[in-house]
Amino acid sequence: MPGKTDKILEQIERSRVWRSIFRSGRGGSPLHRALAIQQNVFLHLFSTKVRKRMLGFNATWYLGALTLGTFLILIVTGVLLMLYYHPSVPQAYADMKDLQFVVSSGLFLRNLHRWSAQVMVFLVFAHMFRVFYRGAYRPPREFNWVVGVVLLLITLLLSYTGYLLPWDQLAYWAITVGSNLSKAVPLVGDKIHFLLLGGNEVNANALLRFYVLHCLILPLAALLFIAVHFWRIRKDGGLYVHQSDPKTLAASKKVAPEKEAK
Amino acid sequence: MKAIKNYLSSLWRALFGDTMRAFGVVSVVLLIALAIAPAKDHFSQWHSYQNGYLSLIRDRSDAVSLRRRFTPGIQQIWLPELGVVDRCATCHLGLKEASLADVAIQPYRKHPVIPHPLDSYGCVICHRGQGPATTVVEAHYSQQAGVDPILPDRYIGSGCGQCHQNELTGTPQLNLGRKMLAQYGCVNCHTVKTPDGRIMKGTDDPPSLEHIADKTTREWIFSWLKDPQAYAVSATMPNYNLSDADASDISAFLMSSSTPRAGDNDAVLIPVAKNADPTAGASLYGESFCATCHAVQNGAGNLVGGDVGPELTRIGNKAKPGWLQAWVENPHTYNPNTLMPHYRFTPQQVALLVSYLMNKSDSDYGANVQLSAATPAQIAHGRRLVAELGCAACHKINGVGKPDNFAPDLSRIGSKPLAQLIFLPGMQHTLPSYIAGKIKQPQAFGPGLKMPVFALTDLQRDALTTALLSLDDRSQTMPDKLRVAGFQQTDYEPAGQAGKLMQDLACFSCHRIDGHGSDLAPDLSFEGSAVQRQWLDNFLKNPNTLRPALTRRMPRFNLSDADRKILTDYIMVVYQSPNIDPETAPPAVNPPALVEHGRQLFYSKYACQSCHIANTKTDKGYIGPTLTQVGSRLNPAWIYAWLKDPQALRPGTLEPNQKISDDDARALTAFLMTLKNSGAQETTR
Amino acid sequence: MNDPKEFIAGFDSDQRRSPTRVVFVTRRTSAQVKANYEEQVQTYPEVLFRVVLAIELLAIVLVVLSLLFNAPLEGIADATHTPNPAKAPWYFLGLQELLHYFPPVVAGVLAPTMLIVSLVIIPYFNINIEADGLFLNDRQRRLQIFYLIAIGLLVFLVAFHVYVAAVPTLLVAIAMVVAAYSSPQSTVAARRYLANKPLAWWVMTWFLFELIVLTAVGTFFRGPGWSWVLPWGS
Repeated sequence: MPGKTDKILEQIERSRVWRSIFRSGRGGSPLHRALAIQQNVFLHLFSTKVRKRMLGFNATWYLGALTLGTFLILIVTGVLLMLYYHPSVPQAYADMKDLQFVVSSGLFLRNLHRWSAQVMVFLVFAHMFRVFYRGAYRPPREFNWVVGVVLLLITLLLSYTGYLLPWDQLAYWAITVGSNLSKAVPLVGDKIHFLLLGGNEVNANALLRFYVLHCLILPLAALLFIAVHFWRIRKDGGLYVHQSDPKTLAASKKVAPEKEAK
Repeated sequence: MKAIKNYLSSLWRALFGDTMRAFGVVSVVLLIALAIAPAKDHFSQWHSYQNGYLSLIRDRSDAVSLRRRFTPGIQQIWLPELGVVDRCATCHLGLKEASLADVAIQPYRKHPVIPHPLDSYGCVICHRGQGPATTVVEAHYSQQAGVDPILPDRYIGSGCGQCHQNELTGTPQLNLGRKMLAQYGCVNCHTVKTPDGRIMKGTDDPPSLEHIADKTTREWIFSWLKDPQAYAVSATMPNYNLSDADASDISAFLMSSSTPRAGDNDAVLIPVAKNADPTAGASLYGESFCATCHAVQNGAGNLVGGDVGPELTRIGNKAKPGWLQAWVENPHTYNPNTLMPHYRFTPQQVALLVSYLMNKSDSDYGANVQLSAATPAQIAHGRRLVAELGCAACHKINGVGKPDNFAPDLSRIGSKPLAQLIFLPGMQHTLPSYIAGKIKQPQAFGPGLKMPVFALTDLQRDALTTALLSLDDRSQTMPDKLRVAGFQQTDYEPAGQAGKLMQDLACFSCHRIDGHGSDLAPDLSFEGSAVQRQWLDNFLKNPNTLRPALTRRMPRFNLSDADRKILTDYIMVVYQSPNIDPETAPPAVNPPALVEHGRQLFYSKYACQSCHIANTKTDKGYIGPTLTQVGSRLNPAWIYAWLKDPQALRPGTLEPNQKISDDDARALTAFLMTLKNSGAQETTR
Repeated sequence: MNDPKEFIAGFDSDQRRSPTRVVFVTRRTSAQVKANYEEQVQTYPEVLFRVVLAIELLAIVLVVLSLLFNAPLEGIADATHTPNPAKAPWYFLGLQELLHYFPPVVAGVLAPTMLIVSLVIIPYFNINIEADGLFLNDRQRRLQIFYLIAIGLLVFLVAFHVYVAAVPTLLVAIAMVVAAYSSPQSTVAARRYLANKPLAWWVMTWFLFELIVLTAVGTFFRGPGWSWVLPWGS
């Protein structure tokens, strides 16, 4: 049985169509594997090789990868939620009720989106502190740290703009409290407040504005900066290695070379 | 032990031995986890209720037609104007099935008959609950903020009251509650803006206390303040649970702030004639229909009489005789705005009534009250208490102004968020139980709360709660066209001498004209079109009733001929209906053939005798007024117009519009005009 | 530029597995080890699948979380009913807590702006950037500056009654004092650890501490009128 499946898979991979899409070709050699990364528009952001000791959980706690994971979950659930959501008053709130009671798995989708968002904010902060305490922000990675700070702000803004969309009391007052802060900016505070809300108070205009920010502008900005962030990891010399960290060094030595060769 | 360990470690290796294996296993687990939510949807509650319905109707005789009317899936009623989405019918599947009225298990029973089609009104407007929900708990007892739980059935009338600001025959509880809001003076402290834009006004007519010292004693005030219902069970004055010292200080302040009025106590009491019948006072009280407005407790402890004026069971304990005499002579001298008419009693009648009333006393009442003379400090304290307790919100008191916004606005109390409420321990955390609890024991909800305890029965409390619940966000924000406006008092005042006379006789305490006045007695707006001048004059001279079954009747005022003429002239000229054209009216006297035709129509075609009596010997109708003398009372033009369209002349009358043809109406009018009284006007039944 | 160059070419010991490296050593430099050879793995499939695995595990956790706990939803937004307290999202509650003590222009504008600016400049901040302990060089002067700043900050916070922020500040300051009087060769591991921490580390630790404490207080311990409540009370 497995032999047959392998044969079919092999046939597919040898087909012209497959080869026209995946240029790396068939084979398990380091070249083929390197090409698999290099020839892919998304994966080429990463380097083709990674220091072995960075694979261990201790080196990074996988915080960056997990943050990316929450972001992907948020995109998928967010797009699905958009199918049921009208950014208008009071339909937005009615849509929450519809999601809860009549949309198949609607409540689950909303829960997953909400909790993933909270977890993402937490993970971004955790990632930042982890990077700091590892010393991974130092030159030549200083610009990537700045990109990270920008991504932190985008994440917070994404979460904040999304907070208004259910149009319930929680949303309304959280945004009211938050947006009132902008009034405190000297000289142009009221203008900023007006620009942010599309009016002088949180109303249907603000809802529409936050919807566009949340679903279009901020995710695009996030994608852009995430791409830069990943690309800079590669360009700045790969994941940062603490030279004198005996723990991770020892971990990498443990693996016997023979086993690896298989 | 070791075997298990080995087995487990080999299992671990098999599943998570290398990255690819672990990836495969974890992916499968993730896929399974993702499949749980859709699976939960498939086994949702409403599916099983719909299956339950199908198995319920399977064995019934009308299974085929029930099955045909059943549509699977979520059922929804959407009322965009009210922002209502209602999915109750997803599980409540038999609401419209007449044959399921006997079903014992909910949610399948038929809905009782109501005046509105279910499809266009939905459920949550009356029952509350969460309409969009499709689970039992969320629909009925949701804990989500901003969602009402299902309203207990006894308050269901509040649903009607959201749109209907008028009185409805089907909602006695709501009507009572609304009436009580005005009658118990709730609206004197609380602002209540009804959804049709009226500010509710009190109808309790709280007495002015500006001259209270003329009327009664400090001891009586003390006893009254301590417990108003001990003096009169029907008193609407609430109990403030005052301490003896506080009640004493308030009484001292009220006595000291009162200014004397000439004629209240300084006039000489008229003695009752020596030869007077001992029952003459009681007879006069009865003949004057005092009981229409005033109640008295009888031997069995039941109240007999109306609730317009104060209860008189122990009036002798309260009133000073001099004041009472002045009051009975002409109440308008003491209180120009009183609802009580100026009866124009003869001095002897006044004496009889005063002595009759002063005998209505209870020697035990207030017997132990001994108040020492008040010090200035006590009076000052009394004044402070009067201001703090808001006495002046209802009563006029010298030196204390009416407080503004003394109590919270109740215009939207029916939607008050639970988060803003404080509950007593052991209380259900729902809005109805909060409102009912607050009415029952207002001071238990926190220290320093001023609302007093009103003496109410459970029924009255439920009625008030119902009326308050109807004042919700929906009622205040719905489109105007969905609302049925309530009755709004106009400020109509008749002019001239007749106007003064009508004021003096307090006609508007019972009658209504052009939207002003009470509805105890017939509306007189078109009285001039309706009645014959001679009849009206006789009626004012000696009123007798049209409807013998009624206990409230027009009292006799000792009007002078001149006064009577002024009134009659004014009514005949001014109170004319624009809907009656005297030109086309049938004549008062008609050929016998037409009269006979009318009689036959009366008895056979239209069967008027089912409600009216034209012949006292044969007819049994009691619902409508007796017609034995209608030919001397009403104008033929009015009768004709009335037969054609009764509702046009008096909206809401019970008389059906039978679409009587012109010819039939003429014949009926001809017949009715022959029903005249035989000379003397005393021939009442 | 015309100098003839001398090359020493050699092979790595493990030439089969890693590409051949050529080392050029110019005249005036000497060969030195900057980095040891590190074993590397292919991103595909080793890293990629591990990352996907990690994301999948997180997704499972989130899915289970979503099945068990419903996202909050209150009544429809109503501008006329202000909830008490009206709280911002949890990650802003630290700021809202500060807002309770300082005017909005300080807590709502100045503080976050300064925070972002300092985060951005951290890697460009050239003082004491290498892993030198803060108090290892120029100890006397740095201690003076530290005391000045720490005491000034504490007095400022206490003057505004911001005890919520003062307590973490005090704790970090105490730890810094311990570090100042510890030697990197101390026999106590904790003192050795602290003594080696540079300035940036101390600033970040102080920030992290404040962030956690303020956010936790704002989230769990604040009730109606922003008064103190216990999360398990009521």
